[in-house]
Amino acid sequence: MITPSPALPIAVPLVAAAFLAGLRKFLRRWLADLIATATAAANLWLCTALLRASWHSNIVYWFGNWFPRGRMVVGIGFEVDPVGAGLATLACLLTLLGFIYSWRITDSGRDLFQPLMLIFMAAMCGFAMTADLFNLFVFFELMSTAAFALCGLKTHEPAPLQGAFNFAVTNTVGAFLILTGIALVYAVTGALNMAQIGFLLGSRHDLLVIAAAAFLCSGFLIKAAIAPFHFWLPDAHSVAPTPVCVLFSGLMVELGAFAVLRMTSVMFGQSLLQPHSAFRATLLLLGSLTVVWGGLMCFAEHHLKRVLAFSTISHGGAMLLGVAIGTPAAITGWLTYLFAHAMAKAGLFFTAGILLHRLQSMSEPQLFKRGRPLRFTAVLWLLGGIALAALPPFGLSNGEDLIESATHAHAIHLWVTLMFFFTSAMTGAAVFRVGMRVFFGLGDAGPADRAAKIDEAPDGPEEQHHIPARMFLPAALCIALSAAPAYIPGFGRWFFNAAHRFLAQSLYIARIYAQPVHYVLPPAPHSDLGSTLMHGAIAVVCALLLASWAVFHLALPRGFRGATHLEGPMFPLRKLQSGHPGDYVVWCMVGFVLLGGCLFLLP
Amino acid sequence: MNQIVHIFPYLVAGWVFLCGLYGIATSRHLVHTVISLAVVQTSTYVLLLNIGFRTGGAAPVFADISPGITTVDPIVQALMLTDVVVEATVMALLLAMVVKAYEKAGTLSPDDLRLMRG
Repeated sequence: MITPSPALPIAVPLVAAAFLAGLRKFLRRWLADLIATATAAANLWLCTALLRASWHSNIVYWFGNWFPRGRMVVGIGFEVDPVGAGLATLACLLTLLGFIYSWRITDSGRDLFQPLMLIFMAAMCGFAMTADLFNLFVFFELMSTAAFALCGLKTHEPAPLQGAFNFAVTNTVGAFLILTGIALVYAVTGALNMAQIGFLLGSRHDLLVIAAAAFLCSGFLIKAAIAPFHFWLPDAHSVAPTPVCVLFSGLMVELGAFAVLRMTSVMFGQSLLQPHSAFRATLLLLGSLTVVWGGLMCFAEHHLKRVLAFSTISHGGAMLLGVAIGTPAAITGWLTYLFAHAMAKAGLFFTAGILLHRLQSMSEPQLFKRGRPLRFTAVLWLLGGIALAALPPFGLSNGEDLIESATHAHAIHLWVTLMFFFTSAMTGAAVFRVGMRVFFGLGDAGPADRAAKIDEAPDGPEEQHHIPARMFLPAALCIALSAAPAYIPGFGRWFFNAAHRFLAQSLYIARIYAQPVHYVLPPAPHSDLGSTLMHGAIAVVCALLLASWAVFHLALPRGFRGATHLEGPMFPLRKLQSGHPGDYVVWCMVGFVLLGGCLFLLP
Repeated sequence: MNQIVHIFPYLVAGWVFLCGLYGIATSRHLVHTVISLAVVQTSTYVLLLNIGFRTGGAAPVFADISPGITTVDPIVQALMLTDVVVEATVMALLLAMVVKAYEKAGTLSPDDLRLMRG
């Protein structure tokens, strides 16, 4: 099997996007759809081929054949490792499913939807595979700009413009933080290739290095929507078209955490990442904060896409815990969790999109009882909820178990277990609550909050009585793939190999300089089915109880209606979600100071 | 004295960064928000210029200077150029959104454009 050039997954979609954007006046809708879908499929094939080829050793590619001279890297290079290639494959898969879902609909933003999606996909592929720090920034910005435009596609409504504006301002501030960090790194080392920076930094640990790490991490954590950097995410999700939400939640947010991990393992591997260092403690703190904040807000929201958005925040925080622990077993768990979460969340967003298409609303009170005829949609929605609550066979349970067992016999084990339980129970409860009210018509319509009234023009022209199969297909496929780690043998071993290679700093650096590497894969950890089943079952039961508590609150005596406060309008955290970009930027700075302060002050 | 000269550009960059952030945080007009964002961006120029600067360095155009002469760092200039291009795109996109938002809502105050609250 031939190995395609790693430049192709970036070049092909960009050329196709330029073609589609240039000729959009002359192309029929079905032809544009066909070209876009075919490009995404071709890219999926290219990335899969790269993933297979990178299996035994990383692929290094120098643009213009500017290979390093001695220790000096002179060109811009890609280094494709299994994690990078895998994330690129996931980007292509989600884009392809998004195109299938939106085949001949998503009339809003008429002609620019496909080119922007292709640019977005290309940027994510490049972001996952590049070995150059500044190149990483350029792909970050390309990804962000395409995302801003996709988010605000429905320019004929006021809400998408405001959501996209908040998103754009917050993330652009993040981009400047990253650029400042890159400048500081360049000031210290005089290099831009991540491997060379890692080689030059060695174990150097001084003020400038810490400052650079703080700037870079804050910037990427804004993209990763870690509290208190997360305020832009629900605004962006509640207004973006459904396939765009899938890409945001499924991959873009996780790429922020990926960048943090790539940077810290390759560049600051020896300078910051000693075991039990301040850096890990800081990430643990931020991750825990995010889990709690996202989980509480997830249950408090009544706009379907906002519920899912806050669930992404909570799960993103849980994934950051895995990144913080950072052992090969924990990173295996992180990868499993990332894949399963991307699939489950994509399935839920597609299902929410079906509801929007069929019933023209995303507000839980307005949808009350109206989903009763939609049996198949209900099944998909509830399965998505069970997947989020991490019940086996869904892959989130394996990931959770691997991350938890990585902290075994350590003081934080109980804490990490508790955090994972919290995120599973709260997000599962929110999804179940919506399901009970919308599809089964149980209880009452529930409180209506301001954000639930965000109007969104549905993707189709008017209320549809027919749901085409092409909308169900991606949703069902995503939910099924979310359980893939359980039924495809060898999944765990693949992820472990990928994680182990990803964390080996010396391996990455040696490949850039084309040195021979000796690499022995240690035995993979096993996840214990008994404990995952128990954890998952407890989380699902708690989620169901919490959901029922909220739905049937009127049947309870007055003193036992605590759940109404959890989902009520006066929830204190809700006030912080002010809808003002200035406030969001201030919160980002609070997070930056918190992160930088922890890095400086913790021993 | 030398120490102050060395640290001074960093202070300027930090000051400009904070000015821009203050502008975004207190903004009462969306165009003002976008311009404040551009001010934040300017701080990265100051920082990059400082990092690439060599005392007595010539411009890094090697057509008419002999090799071996000290020049300022050309890579930093390439970074800045890329940054200018990328951020010009973002600013254009943001301003386009502002124009559209004004068409829809008839106001440019972020306090009145808060459909996303809660």
